[in-house]
Amino acid sequence: MTHLSMEQLLALREPASEPGQLALREHVASCPTCSAELDRLHQRTARLKALPLLRPARDMWAPVAARHQKELRAHRLRRAGLMCLAAAASIAAIALGGPRLLPAPANDGGVTEAAIQEAQAQSATLEQVLDAYNPNGRVINGRTAGVAQVLEDRIAQVDQRLQAAEMAPEAVMQDQERLDLWRQRVGLMDALVDVHVTRASSVGF
Amino acid sequence: MDSFSAADAVLAEAQAGDAAALETVCRAFEVPVYNLARRICRTTEDAEDVVQETFFEVCRSIGRYRGDGSLWGWVRTIASSKALMKLRRNKYRDTDELHEYAAPARRDDTLLRMDLETALESLSETSRAVVWLHDVEGYTHEEIAGMMGRTASFSKSQLARAHARLRRWLGEEVPAP
Repeated sequence: MTHLSMEQLLALREPASEPGQLALREHVASCPTCSAELDRLHQRTARLKALPLLRPARDMWAPVAARHQKELRAHRLRRAGLMCLAAAASIAAIALGGPRLLPAPANDGGVTEAAIQEAQAQSATLEQVLDAYNPNGRVINGRTAGVAQVLEDRIAQVDQRLQAAEMAPEAVMQDQERLDLWRQRVGLMDALVDVHVTRASSVGF
Repeated sequence: MDSFSAADAVLAEAQAGDAAALETVCRAFEVPVYNLARRICRTTEDAEDVVQETFFEVCRSIGRYRGDGSLWGWVRTIASSKALMKLRRNKYRDTDELHEYAAPARRDDTLLRMDLETALESLSETSRAVVWLHDVEGYTHEEIAGMMGRTASFSKSQLARAHARLRRWLGEEVPAP
């Protein structure tokens, strides 16, 4: 007599009745070996469920709370920085009577206002991409979170410098620095988007 | 009030970002999440990482919990996913065969039978995860397959393989008549 395989015995525990289950049940009813095997399977599962609860040896909450607070601070800083930058850029444009909104002639370094505006537009687009991706609502692993945290910190630093540059009275003289900072911001934002989007493809087991 | 009820009671505050409420929620699930993680992961350190990753995710995403199913069910799914990600990230070697050789299987000496804890620990990471998620946590093969990025058939065959090994290692094989 052929006895049931482990896979067949396991199938008998499933609530949904699959084709062929009736025949398997009839076999178990008439076969003491398979009946005993099924009983042992049920007993083994019950013993697994009855294994004692394992408890952590140390406090798990404190490091989570610290990390969560740090992330909230970084997020707020980045948001606040972006809003200040937008305001500062508007004020600078008004103060200069508008010419900064238009492409300016190249200065000695070959920097044009158009190049800065292009970098600003790229930065804004990447912010929108990141917002649309909603990274805060997605599962993230520790390493990815760490990389994202580093990038967000660096973006916040760049934002602080950009804010100072935009508000400085000699801003016209610092176009090269402004362009470098905006390009740096675009690069960091690009990396941040990449980190969030790329890790989504590695979530599967 | 048990800890799960305490978590439910402060859910609205936690979703509004209240730090004390978030702590209550996470502390309520600390032991079951650690237990799940420790049963799946090989080491205590990995299990602790999974707990922290799980609670960090809970803090970030609790605003998106809409009450479809229990709060524990939602937290448990995050924990299960984090534990499986940890296994994958660590790229553990699938040591089934090594463990099988190391195990006192196929001996008639009942003194060498494993206890259930040891036998469970001796399974490969993947098999152990499937056994725990299916037999103890109650996930279906389809749900496990979704979390693992594999098929339901894969989950079923892993479970059958694991039970065959547990049976042998525990000295539970039924002698053929």
